[in-house]
Amino acid sequence: MQIIISNTSKDPIYEQIYVQIKKHILTNELQAGEALPSMRQLAKDLDISVITTKRAYEELEKNGFIYSIVGKGSFVSEQSNEMIRERKMKVIEEQLLSAIENSKEIGVELAELQELLTLLYKEET
Amino acid sequence: MENVVEMRNVNKTFKGFALKDFSLSVKKGFVTGFIGGNGVGKSTIIKLIMNLLQPDSGEISLFGLNYKNHEKEIKQRIGFVFDNNVLYENITLAEMKKIIKPAYKNWDDTLFHQYINLFELPMKKQIKTFSKGMMMKASLTFALSHHAELIIMDEPTSGLDPIFRRELLDILHDIMQDSEKTIFFSTHITTDLDRIADYITFIHNGQHIFTKEHYKIEEDYAIVKGETNLLDRDTEREFIGIRRSNHGFEALTTNKQRTQNIFGDTVILEKPTLEDIMLYTKKGTDHYATSHS
Amino acid sequence: MLHLIRKDIVLQKYTLLILLPVLFIDLFLDGSRIYVGILFSIAIIMQSFATDEKSSVHFLLNSLPYTRKEIVSSKYVGACVFISLVLLTIFIGNLVIHKEFVPWEQLLFIASIVAVFISLAFPFSYLFKSQYLMIASIVLFVLYFIIVAKFIPDLNDWIRGAVQTLLSLDDTLLYGGAIFSVILLYFCSYMLSVRIYSRKVF
Repeated sequence: MQIIISNTSKDPIYEQIYVQIKKHILTNELQAGEALPSMRQLAKDLDISVITTKRAYEELEKNGFIYSIVGKGSFVSEQSNEMIRERKMKVIEEQLLSAIENSKEIGVELAELQELLTLLYKEET
Repeated sequence: MENVVEMRNVNKTFKGFALKDFSLSVKKGFVTGFIGGNGVGKSTIIKLIMNLLQPDSGEISLFGLNYKNHEKEIKQRIGFVFDNNVLYENITLAEMKKIIKPAYKNWDDTLFHQYINLFELPMKKQIKTFSKGMMMKASLTFALSHHAELIIMDEPTSGLDPIFRRELLDILHDIMQDSEKTIFFSTHITTDLDRIADYITFIHNGQHIFTKEHYKIEEDYAIVKGETNLLDRDTEREFIGIRRSNHGFEALTTNKQRTQNIFGDTVILEKPTLEDIMLYTKKGTDHYATSHS
Repeated sequence: MLHLIRKDIVLQKYTLLILLPVLFIDLFLDGSRIYVGILFSIAIIMQSFATDEKSSVHFLLNSLPYTRKEIVSSKYVGACVFISLVLLTIFIGNLVIHKEFVPWEQLLFIASIVAVFISLAFPFSYLFKSQYLMIASIVLFVLYFIIVAKFIPDLNDWIRGAVQTLLSLDDTLLYGGAIFSVILLYFCSYMLSVRIYSRKVF
């Protein structure tokens, strides 16, 4: 599992870890039931404090991505496809909302925005 | 969460220095970095925790035990490193080991020699011929060779080169793989803390300003930059330690969210370093610092 | 506490390795047993005390699992060990060189004088610093020898005479009383030192 931490990023370190592990889970790179490194091991590997990894794991657990068994460690939760899709849709919605906000600020019309979206969508694939 | 060190309402007065009603706790299983300027009482607090000084009043307990009845038991479980060398200088490390080893029930010779090899320390040379870095490594070896549950260090990284400072942090990471261990250390070099400290304890003029989770500091504190005309008697109260110039002001807020609500986009908020917090707290009055934390 | 006494012997091994053979040689040269016995005992004990007087050593010993009482106790018991070593050297030395037993009164006399000195010196040193004591002692010794050499050449003889008279007193009660007083003094001094040291700030 690759995790890259930036010390100059605006995002707190625990959030960077959270986001990256979440991505690994959502892309199935980490599979359900797979054990995550222990908080203390990960802290050592990333050269950061234990409490930072602890916070990241707590957030992951709170949002249902992982579960912990006392004395055994943390494991990736079972993810139903529907759950993942739902979660992803929510993210997409949020991102589109901010795109709309920005468009309105500088007076970009809906048609123009749609056109841009279509263009970008085709370019990506 | 369990506390390894507990200081409650401790008072200690010296000539020209007073610790008033000081309380502090150190959490088990974590690294607590202890910061503050020179002469604000860091060493005094470490001495109180080690029972090298007795408080005038108040309670100090370690592992839930007090020094009055359990002094030896407590000290068995502590590993210590001081900023100056406390080892006898006219003898060799081998002889020093003969002196320290019998004091500890849990002394581990294998572990001791592992560290000696790791640090490449000579056993047969007089300790007075050691460089500052070697003395520090020797002290650290003794602190780590008896499976201490609590490791207390006073400025362990001062005067050490950056490479060994990194090595030291790696060793501390290794120790912290065991969740029964606790590390409490004071330092001037706040960048060391970013890599290892779980909690930051900050004191100023004998007062405990805060103990916070490391990540919580950047959530609460921020450096605020803006135009000087934003400052008036009311808004100034939001800050500690304001620095004005002809081109604007810079200040520290202890409540980032509130500052954002009040000033909105008229100011820039930046992540503060621990040094920023120390500097501005020193600039600001102690009154502000404590009432806002 | 035994570890602390062993520590003092480890630390003073060079002093012992030098002084005890010198003591042996001195016996060979037929010097005054009592004088050198007292002098050497005091020298070794105070040397050992001074080694531990740096504030860094106080930090070390008090951070190790020892109590302050044990640290003081080890010095008092250790002093007895060092006296015994000196007396043993004198005793064996005499046996080997002169083929004679040293009278036990002499050994006891040496031990008593040293004990009295320690009883005064230790609390003083815990309160202040043994450096002052060393300086004072050295000055006194030098003065004493100058006076003996220049002005009262028979002072030594006079003291020796007095000591002889004392030693020839065949009064068990007197001896018993003297020993008891010395032990009492030593014990009071120990109690005082514990009190002083437990409040010491270093």
